[in-house]
This record gives sequence, C-alpha cells and structure tokens, in this order.
Amino acid sequence: MIKFDQVTKKYKDDFVALEDISLEIKEGEFVSIVGQSGAGKSTLLRLVYAEEMPTAGAVYFNEKSLDSISRRKLPFHRRNIGTVFQDFKLLPKKTAFENVAYALEACGAPKNEILEDVPQILEIVGLGEKMEKFPHELSGGEQQRVAMARALIHKPLVIVADEPTGNLDPVSSAEIVELLLKINNLGTTVLLASHDKDIVNKAAKRVVVLERGKIIADDAKGKYKIS
Amino acid sequence: MLLVIGRTFSESLKNFVRNGWLSVAAVTVLFLSLFVVSLLFVVTKTADGILKNVQEKANVSVYFKTDVQEEAILKAKSDLAGYSEVKSVEYVTRSQALENFKRNNADEPVIIKSLEELGDNPLLASLVIKANDPAKYEAIANYVKEASFKDDVSRVNYGKNKEIIEKLNRLIGETKRIGLSLAILFAVISILITFNTIRITIYTHKSEIEVMRLVGASNMFIRLPFIFEGIIYAVIALILSTLFVFITLNFIVPQISSVIPKEIISTAFTGNILYLLGIQLIVGAFLGVVSSMIAIRRYLKI
Repeated sequence: MIKFDQVTKKYKDDFVALEDISLEIKEGEFVSIVGQSGAGKSTLLRLVYAEEMPTAGAVYFNEKSLDSISRRKLPFHRRNIGTVFQDFKLLPKKTAFENVAYALEACGAPKNEILEDVPQILEIVGLGEKMEKFPHELSGGEQQRVAMARALIHKPLVIVADEPTGNLDPVSSAEIVELLLKINNLGTTVLLASHDKDIVNKAAKRVVVLERGKIIADDAKGKYKIS
Repeated sequence: MLLVIGRTFSESLKNFVRNGWLSVAAVTVLFLSLFVVSLLFVVTKTADGILKNVQEKANVSVYFKTDVQEEAILKAKSDLAGYSEVKSVEYVTRSQALENFKRNNADEPVIIKSLEELGDNPLLASLVIKANDPAKYEAIANYVKEASFKDDVSRVNYGKNKEIIEKLNRLIGETKRIGLSLAILFAVISILITFNTIRITIYTHKSEIEVMRLVGASNMFIRLPFIFEGIIYAVIALILSTLFVFITLNFIVPQISSVIPKEIISTAFTGNILYLLGIQLIVGAFLGVVSSMIAIRRYLKI
C-alpha cells in the first residue's frame, strides 16, 4: 500500500535525513518506526503525507507515485491519511467537538454529516462526555484522543502517528497505543514513530529501526532495540 | 462550492473583526486612495463640463463700420458661410445689437440712461461666426482680415474666449497630474498596509492553516478567507469614499456655485455615478485582492 523505493531525502544544507530507504507497508499492517531523535523517523512519515518530497527515489501510495500528484490534488491525498502528533495540534479556541468538526468543514462536508459523524467518533475514542470541553480543560491523554478522533473523521486508510505519546504519562501512553491497536484491528493501517521502548513493545508488531537515516533492522514481530 | 464560499467568507469576517485596528488602518488608507481617485474624477469631469460650456459659447464677432450697407454685410455673410471651418454665421443688425445690449444691462439704469442721452445708436452691426472646431477661431479671424470685405470691417473679436479655453485646458491637465500622483501614492501605501494586515492574519492563523493542510482542506479553502478579507476592506472603503465624495460635494458646491454653475458639478457626479462606482470597485478590488495575493504568495505555504 505504501512503498518507499530507494528514497533519499536531503534538506537544504545538504543534511541527509534519509538515505536509500526501501520499505513496503501492506494494507492493515501496524508498523512501529523506532530510532533516536534525528534518525529520520519524522521525515519518513512526512514523506507519506506528502509534506516533503523525496530528493531521490519515489514514494508510492496505492501504487501511485506521490510525485505525480499535482499540488491542487494533494489535499485529496491527505484525506486518505490521518495524522497525530506529539503536540496534538488542536485549535485552542475550539471545543473538542469543534476541533473534530473543523476537519470536516475544511473539506466541505455538509452540516448534517458533521452533526452525525463527530459525536460518533468522539464516542469511539472515549470522549463522548467531554465534547464541549476546550483543549485546556482536558488532560494530555484526552487532548491526544481528540486529535485521534480528528485524524479518524475522514475514515482514512492510514493513520500516521509521530511520537503520539511524547508528551504523555505512561498510563495515557498505554491508552493511546491501545486505541491505535483497536483502530488497526478495524482494518486501518497504522504507522507509529516512537522512541518510547514501552509502547513499541506493548504493540508487539512489526518494528523498523532507523539509524542516521538508514534502516538497520526490520522485524515482523519486533522488539524495541537500539544498538 | 457555495458551502466553501459561505464558510470561508464567515471566517474572513471574523478575521476582519479580530484584527481590530489593523483593519481600521487598512480600510482607512484604501478609502483615502479611492477618495482621491473619485474626487479627481469629479473635478476633471466638472472642468470638462465647464470647458464644453465655454466652447459652446465661443465665437468670432466681426463688426462692420457704420457706413457699410446691409447688402455688403449679407454678401460677406454668404462668403463666410462658404468657408469650410465655419459652422454657422448669424447676422446681428445695429438695432438688434442695441436691443441685446439693453436687455443684458437692464439692471444698470445708469448705462441705459447714458445710452438714451446719446440719442444715436452707437453699436455696430456684426456677424457672429461659430466654428466647427474651437481651435480654428484664429484661422477664421485671419481669413476675415484677408477677405474681400476687409475694408468694411471695423474690428474682429475673438481673443477673450481663447484665453479662457487655454487656461481651462491647463488647469485640467494640472489637476489630472497632481491627482494621479496622489492616487498612485495612496495606492502604494494601501497595498503595503493591506498586505501587512493580511500577513499578520496569516501569521496569527498559523496553527489553523497547519491543521487545515493536515486534514486535507483544499488550497482554495485555505486561501479564500484571506482574499475575502482584502475584498471586505475594499468594499467598506468604497462605501465610505462614495459617501464622503457626496458629503464633500454637498458642502463645497454651494460655496462655489457663483463661480461654477451648480449643474455642471452635480451632473459630473450624479450623471457618472455608476461609472464612478465602477472605477472605485475596480481600483478597490484590485488593491485589496492584489495585496492579499502578495501576502498569500509570500507567507502562506500550502
């Protein structure tokens, strides 16, 4: 479903973030990408949702090279991918409900669809009771669950989670991983970047280890390990 | 599409209100540009009106000596009518001239009285010539001076109007130049300020824009609020400027109506109001949209 074909990514000052990466992720997989800070995890994910384009090689999504998507069509590609980040990226002046609804509004969904879908998805992430709360009234774990609800609202094919537990305590982190596993069980592909040993081991799924922009291990039933 | 326009437009309205003083500054300077353009428009239209008025009244009067017979004058008239530059020739007899003079000076009993005391008619018979082209009066006057009947002519009168026409032409040119440079100056300032306002809007909405991109909002949806913001500035400036031109004219016209006929100014405004609104709309929308576009290009990464 997602294929990296000899991808190299250099940033402006010739800093090599990824070097000659070839990787294939199948539909319905749960892949943890681990490695130290600066190993290239975030860059790898950014290539998937086309925030960055590879310097060399190509990234394919459903057999289509992301290079071939015009800027105008790019938003439609992004609707296939739900994104979750360490810093949640919630809008502080909007309630949990509005934050999720915003994702639908921005894509031109009609009002009745919004009123129907948003409460449903918030229910799924366990925030049915807290829909009208603002982000600052929610705990870190709850905020991340709002972000997950927002990522899920388009019924994406892939969830890309970049250090989703980086700002959370162990209990909340475990809840987020469980939620990701639950989403994965329902058929959504999950890409999880993390340097948190516990949560990767808890997932106990395929682990790809990055080091200085290169893949040094790829285990189907992996454990978190860094040399 | 309608949904997108509705949502982005309400978003831009919110931005407009939240920007507060920035919005006020942007609208004010846009308003000033439009106001200058409008005033320039009304003033030049008025001056054009006056010019046309004066040109219509312009003529060459050929006065004949008192001892010239009427046949000779009529012969001169047909001669002149045959000249290609001449539009019309009117014969004013001595008694007609006297009547006209009396009518024009009916308010001046002293003049009338002195005329009566004179007993004789002191006025001369004349031919009043109108030209097809106001620039040709001099040529006509020269033609008269060389004509076969030149010895019968007492004097040729055309100089006065020529000066007024030239003065007006100069005045119109001058106003246009000054007005245009003022308008350009204000336009540049308004582009800078509107651009800056929208740049700040973009900056304060950084997180929203980021989220919009991540959830796959179309580029149009992300950009439209900022373009609408520019248009809102322009429309408010347009309304203000039209209102102020109206107020200014209502204030000024009574003061100068003794110098310039009132109708000329009012028709310059009311007769061209749609045209004026059109110009303002084009200039305003251009300034607003161009400023937003520059800001979007430079600061909104999609």
